[in-house]
Amino acid sequence: MIHSIIERVDMETPTTVSILFPWDQDVLPGQFVMLWIPGVGEIPISLSHTGRIKGITVKKFGPTSTAITELKAGDRIFFRGPYGNTFRKTEGKTLIVGGGSGMAGLLPLITQESHGVVSARTKEELLFADRFSQEKLTIVTDDGSMGTKGFAVEGLKTLDLDEFSLMYICGPELMLKSILDYIADKEIDADFSLERHMKCGIGVCDSCSMDGLQLCTQGPVFPKSALLKSDEFGKERISISGKRVRL
Amino acid sequence: MANIDTIITGIRLANPLMLASGILDENGYTMKKILEAGASAVVTKSIGRVERTGYRPPIIAEIPGGLLNAVGLANPGIDNFDHEVEIALQAGKPIIGSIFGGTPDDFLYVGKKMEQYGASALELNLSCPHVLGVGSEVGSDPELVEEIIGELKKKIKIPLWAKLSPNVTDILKIAEAAQKADAFVLINTVRGMAIDIYARRPVLSNAYGGLSGRAIKNVGIRYVYQIRKETGKPIIGVGGIETHEDAIEYIMAGATALEIGTGVYSRGKGIFSEINKGLSSFMESEGFSSINDMVGVAVQ
Repeated sequence: MIHSIIERVDMETPTTVSILFPWDQDVLPGQFVMLWIPGVGEIPISLSHTGRIKGITVKKFGPTSTAITELKAGDRIFFRGPYGNTFRKTEGKTLIVGGGSGMAGLLPLITQESHGVVSARTKEELLFADRFSQEKLTIVTDDGSMGTKGFAVEGLKTLDLDEFSLMYICGPELMLKSILDYIADKEIDADFSLERHMKCGIGVCDSCSMDGLQLCTQGPVFPKSALLKSDEFGKERISISGKRVRL
Repeated sequence: MANIDTIITGIRLANPLMLASGILDENGYTMKKILEAGASAVVTKSIGRVERTGYRPPIIAEIPGGLLNAVGLANPGIDNFDHEVEIALQAGKPIIGSIFGGTPDDFLYVGKKMEQYGASALELNLSCPHVLGVGSEVGSDPELVEEIIGELKKKIKIPLWAKLSPNVTDILKIAEAAQKADAFVLINTVRGMAIDIYARRPVLSNAYGGLSGRAIKNVGIRYVYQIRKETGKPIIGVGGIETHEDAIEYIMAGATALEIGTGVYSRGKGIFSEINKGLSSFMESEGFSSINDMVGVAVQ
């Protein structure tokens, strides 16, 4: 287990914090760590900051993520990684689509040229919308409290996708599925970062697998072409016990 | 090319390497993928009568020489496992159903279903080292082992493989109690533990775990050799196999077939075809025409 001392904690939304810490390690956008809170649990968290100072951005959800959001500067954190693959690179303009805390793993990909579709349940939960310039930002909220009302795919419908050379998407699997369905017959290519139950992080437990591939070692980023052929994406997954459930 | 197929309890395997229970064998699509990568069969995750969520992560720790795990027998329950076996069977290779329980009745219930789903054999998990009331708690009680296997033998037609624990004082006593099984699988993980010195506590949420990988290979070799020598029964060797040399060592100690688990983590899914290649060229250069010619040759 690797450990570090937290340098800074930033409140990003009422339920989401960024935790910044030094870690002398090369990491790539899309990669994640298994973060351990001794006595509570261990969960996968994508790295939202991949520069000299590393960072994770975590939303309060279960016991472990809640404990993470309660950490303070000076506290020690424990983790292992980095695990997983990264996104493809492109020369052209990118479209970045994040749902809820899914924006965390996309943060390192934002450049001055990128356009963002930032979606959340409600306006208070919009994450990293301020990292895009106003004219390159599309906001979508489930409850319509800001921007377009509905799910992320509604934001895409307001854009001319031909402008972009690659899309980067992260969020709940059903959101990703609705976007895949929308762009299936369109020219635009896309990399999707997936989230599923993950226990080991090292490709042995089979909890996060999809189509025989392990999200933790062969993902979490998959190209549009792979997902279009998938038997399980957007349909079924394996629960924490190993039971096949519908999404 | 030397002939690397082998027959264990009447089941013909295209090569000696199967996937061991507990690694990448809970989702049918993953099992299928492993079979396509060159494994000759897969042993499923250990399945019980009812659904279990297992232990809270951390359930695994990477340690020098292998892995330490305490997953806690997470499984969907046998009634929810039919579809996974069905998907895995699409690869056209044998599926071995690993089952666990606390009583003969549990084993019978799960074993019957596994047989109906199309498993070619049952691997009885008498050796999981970290869950109370099942696994090695059952496997270290000779009377209970005898009763379970006797009961299954009467009512199940497919071969029974008894996976034994190295965590006992006298493994022979357990092997004798399990003598009605058609084969022994040796060995399950070795009891172990890791402590994080900065967190000042055990790494695994269950504290105690089972050690696998290279660190236990020579423990496995020793038990395979001893049981082969003392019982002459067919043996499936498992524990720390990562190279064709490891595989051959197990075969010469007395194993007719082998299982690989942690090796998939350390070497990737290509491990099956890599070892098979090495196995075949070793046999050619050393003048062995079949796996059977090598089985137990080192036993004195």
